[in-house]
Amino acid sequence: MSFDWTTFALQVINLLVLLAILRHFLFRPVAAMIETRRAETRAALDAASAAKTEAEAAAARAAQEAKASAAARSAVLEKAETEAETRSAAIIAKARAEADKIEAEGRAARAREDSAAAAQALARAQDLALAIARRMLAERPDGPHGYAARLTEALEKMEAAEREALLGGSDLTLVSATALPDNVLDGPRAALKAYGATAGVSTDPDLIEGLELRSGSGVLRNSLAHDLETLGRAMQDDRSAA
Amino acid sequence: MEAPLSAPVAFAAGTLHVTWPVVITWGLMILLGGGAMFVTRHLSTRPGRAQAVLELLVETLDSEIGATIPGDPARFRALIGTLLLFVLCANWSALVPGVEPPTAHLETDAALATLVFGAGIGWGIRAQGVSGWVAAFAKPSWVMLPFNLVEQVTRHFSLVVRLFGNVMSGVFVVGIVLSLAGLLVPIPLMALDLLTGAVQAYIFATLALVFIGSAVTGGEAPAPGRQSDPPAQKEIP
Repeated sequence: MSFDWTTFALQVINLLVLLAILRHFLFRPVAAMIETRRAETRAALDAASAAKTEAEAAAARAAQEAKASAAARSAVLEKAETEAETRSAAIIAKARAEADKIEAEGRAARAREDSAAAAQALARAQDLALAIARRMLAERPDGPHGYAARLTEALEKMEAAEREALLGGSDLTLVSATALPDNVLDGPRAALKAYGATAGVSTDPDLIEGLELRSGSGVLRNSLAHDLETLGRAMQDDRSAA
Repeated sequence: MEAPLSAPVAFAAGTLHVTWPVVITWGLMILLGGGAMFVTRHLSTRPGRAQAVLELLVETLDSEIGATIPGDPARFRALIGTLLLFVLCANWSALVPGVEPPTAHLETDAALATLVFGAGIGWGIRAQGVSGWVAAFAKPSWVMLPFNLVEQVTRHFSLVVRLFGNVMSGVFVVGIVLSLAGLLVPIPLMALDLLTGAVQAYIFATLALVFIGSAVTGGEAPAPGRQSDPPAQKEIP
């Protein structure tokens, strides 16, 4: 067995050369490619992480904006509600004021109409009173003689049956407001005597003035009180008709 | 018949006698260098099969180096990778008829061990400085100084003997069986040589890494597979 130092030296050189070759053409390029891929992967991961961060930030901003928008919307709604309530209250107050004004105007108009109607009624009443007074004055008999004459005339104009019933009644009496003298009563007594009847004499202040014939069967009216009552009834009928 | 332990001369250039192991080593250099240039001429971020194999080799080397020596594994990647590929290809060159592996000769193994020895010294001095590297031989006590100095030689010598003995014995066995039994009988032994060659290449590269790591870390021989700082990598969420 021998050791060839030349071969040993050549092999050392060969190995050093091979080391340089493989370092330059194999390990460095492959390691660089691995590192490049890792760098690309890191870059992709960083980009993805950045995109994720950006997306999260955008989501946070969107949530914040949505929250702000909701708050602004609530504020706007609250403001609008407040304004609506204010306007509604103002409109209601204005409407009430107008209603009060209209009501006051209505009441004033009604008062004016009532006043005018009252004045009109008063004028009419005055006219009626004047007419009544005129008619009464026109139709009023001239003193007790006049009432005695009108009683006699009325007795003659009565239907025969009515007259017989009146005269046939009990307690046939000539009633006057105050005691009348005999010369006034002679006319009516004579007329009664013509129909075969006699009557007593009595007074009734309610007649005011006049002379009536009363019996148990009826009354022949002939007094100022009766005339007033008749005129008042006529006025009542006129008012009802109006 | 030539002496089995002597290197036959292929040719002579003047007084320089070039032996067959050197010639075969040149062939392996051409093969490895040419193959490396061929495969790496169009590297891409989307690797093909050949590029994927090379990347797997590089990443495995980085992983092993990182598990043994703290720091950047790129410092030792080319040396350990070259040792692994050369020893593997040299061992497997026995499959080519008429080719005797360079590692079956003592000079080649000695050259490999010398490379590891020189790398250990160089990286040790670079890592610890001259004084620190020398002081590492006196650890844990100055009494150990001669033993550590002897160990520096013997453990590299063991590298030579281990690789030489395993490869040479395989070649011898195949040659003897081939001369006795015929053509097809040595095939199982040649297959066994494939396994032995791969294992020896891995053992040589691993021991070289451990020896260099020991020199770098100041005499504390790191165990292969020890967890250390991995190469800087970004964690993928």
